Amino acid sequence: MRKNSKKLITYILCLVMLMGNMLTLTGCSSEGGSDEDVIVLRVSNWEEYIDEGDWDPEEETIELENGTVICPETGIVEDFEAWFYETYGREVRVEYSTFGTNEELYNQMSMGDTYDLVCPSEYMIMKLMTEDMLIPYSDEFYDTSIETNYYAKGLSPYIRSVYDELSIEGEPLSKYAAGYMWGTLGIVYNPEVISAEEAAHWDLLLSKKYSKQVTIKDSVRDAYFAGNSIYNKDLLLSEEFVNSEDYYVQMEQLLNATDKKTVDATEDILSDIKGNVYSFETDSGKADMVSGKVVANQQWSGDAVYTLDQAEEEGVILCYSAPEEATNLWFDGWVMLKDGIGEDPDKQMAAEAFVNFVSMPENAIRNMWYIGYTSVIAGGEDDSIFQYIEFLYSADPEEEAPEDLVEYPVSHFFTGKHASELTDEEIAEYTLTTWEEQTRRQLFAQYPPEEVTDRSVVMAYFDKEGNERINQMWLNVRCFDVYEYLWGE
Amino acid sequence: MKSNNLRKQLAIPYAIFLLLFVVFPLLVVIYYGFTNGDGQPSFENFINFFKNGKTVGTLIYSFAIAIITTIVCLLLAYPVALIIAKGAYSKKAKFLMIFVLPMWINFTLRITALKEVLTLIEGNLAYHQFLNTIICMVYDFLPFMMMPLYNSLTKLDDGLIEAARDLGAGKRQVLFKVILPLSVPGIVSGVTMVFLPSMTNYVVLDMIYNSTYIMGSLIGSYFSAYDWHNGSVISIVLLLIILAITYLSNKYTEDDGTSARVR
Repeated sequence: MRKNSKKLITYILCLVMLMGNMLTLTGCSSEGGSDEDVIVLRVSNWEEYIDEGDWDPEEETIELENGTVICPETGIVEDFEAWFYETYGREVRVEYSTFGTNEELYNQMSMGDTYDLVCPSEYMIMKLMTEDMLIPYSDEFYDTSIETNYYAKGLSPYIRSVYDELSIEGEPLSKYAAGYMWGTLGIVYNPEVISAEEAAHWDLLLSKKYSKQVTIKDSVRDAYFAGNSIYNKDLLLSEEFVNSEDYYVQMEQLLNATDKKTVDATEDILSDIKGNVYSFETDSGKADMVSGKVVANQQWSGDAVYTLDQAEEEGVILCYSAPEEATNLWFDGWVMLKDGIGEDPDKQMAAEAFVNFVSMPENAIRNMWYIGYTSVIAGGEDDSIFQYIEFLYSADPEEEAPEDLVEYPVSHFFTGKHASELTDEEIAEYTLTTWEEQTRRQLFAQYPPEEVTDRSVVMAYFDKEGNERINQMWLNVRCFDVYEYLWGE
Repeated sequence: MKSNNLRKQLAIPYAIFLLLFVVFPLLVVIYYGFTNGDGQPSFENFINFFKNGKTVGTLIYSFAIAIITTIVCLLLAYPVALIIAKGAYSKKAKFLMIFVLPMWINFTLRITALKEVLTLIEGNLAYHQFLNTIICMVYDFLPFMMMPLYNSLTKLDDGLIEAARDLGAGKRQVLFKVILPLSVPGIVSGVTMVFLPSMTNYVVLDMIYNSTYIMGSLIGSYFSAYDWHNGSVISIVLLLIILAITYLSNKYTEDDGTSARVR
């Protein structure tokens, strides 16, 4: 009897394995055999990070001065499939999925052949580059003479210069990654409680005045950036340092440092912050700002725009600041995976077409409107993006009191050049008249002025040793230390 | 013989489930726990766990939360369970329902609501992180204590209580010498059902703004830093603690159950 049941178990196990085999086999044949013309593109993106259509025509319609009217019924992914068929005469099927954190995405990717095109953050892109998991974009992709190359034509010159400067083991980041959204790291604050001057420094997180009323991100890298900026505050703010010739390079080194001295000092600062803040938060900060539980929180610029919008609907006015010490320039970008795409030219073509499609100015606007983040696309010849900014933020000088209005140039993003290198006319072309408060609010968060981009540093992927040190530092900050509690240091 | 055979076969679906989703993952965890980064067998992770004040501290912090939660749950639930089980009510099931009803609502929703209530009372939650954690844990796990206690108390033979009274025992003596010893199995299963989950339920801490790590969050942070080895060791340590507690509680209920009856 026992023998029998053992046999039965073996049979069932065999059956399960066979079924598994059959499933994978049929899976293969449906991809390669029956409908050969359909290209399957597996895309993974952040949650709620793409326009899903279904806008309300009465409340959500974008009308630009150049006559473009945007009010889509269908989502970007669906539109891409239709556009691809129209443009290339072939069918593509996008299998779209989402992820919550870069680490989650990485763990999924390490299982092998799971995705073709993914959209991680800058440091994860660098990690994937060092691990040789990516394939470079084709030369064609960067050919601006091809009409459908919206990415190459539309990428902001400022963002392009940032990408070109970033390199891993001698290879520029722009070879492997195409940008999607970008922004700064800063502080959302309630101007009725906190002055703009107080919110302009990272040590607001340590301020006794607002003890237990401020939150910080529950993320090693974001917390480390803030802590490190506080540690180096005096240097970062000194005239001599700011005016030095290699200011940017030095600042970059300072804020990417993972040597023992810096990490230890930052650990002490973060431990103090832990005792002083309301909490380390992952997602509750936005709601708590609106409800008034906290009066300031560390936030990415894209989420800041969302928080400010939400609060406004509740009748609460909030502001955003990018601290004067330095701010973290972050971006998410599309990368093509070696495991997924391999040698398949059709797939690579479809992946590059997808990036171009989301980079079409109109689609970039749709995504920005939908998620509140800022696209890396400036539009090139197409002036839709600047008109979209005007549509959102420009004030009519005839209707408003002149003291409430300011001229706000965004020429750095559109031209990649500093105001000092441009003529007055060129600056005026990318300057809008807006309400004075917008220099601290959504416009400031979405399109930071030149002085903010000048102190924006990309935080690179740390090397193995640095990573271990920082992870240990994070545990030290977050855990209750019993030996220290019992016997002191 | 035949029906016996059939009965065994009915267990096969569960056996396969067990094999695929319990035994196999467990083997993976043990493999990662006892190897180092190069795949070589090593006890280093295990030794590091106990050498590091932070990890041991987290273990103790989690223990403190679990022990206090369990004690408070027990003290709150026992009298209520006793009243419902032994009181002269005709609709006991409905009374019990009132206490078990919260289990029907998703616990994150309940904690969110409780958070607002506590904010009304305390003003700023950040000043009482530990206390708030305990309150939320108790709120979350109280039904799990209530059910086993109620079950064991309803099963308790009223004749024994009457006999004790007839033989001259006072109210207090009846409670401490008869009812309490006889409900030990219920207490033990209630304690195991509250103690173990409250040691690792880090979602509650996240939601109530307690930024100190407990065992669950520590495992999570190791895994998101791709350190599968240290993460696995912590899982194994937790597993050993669970095994020890289950072993002890089984032993204790068997012993006490018989001795109480003899007494």
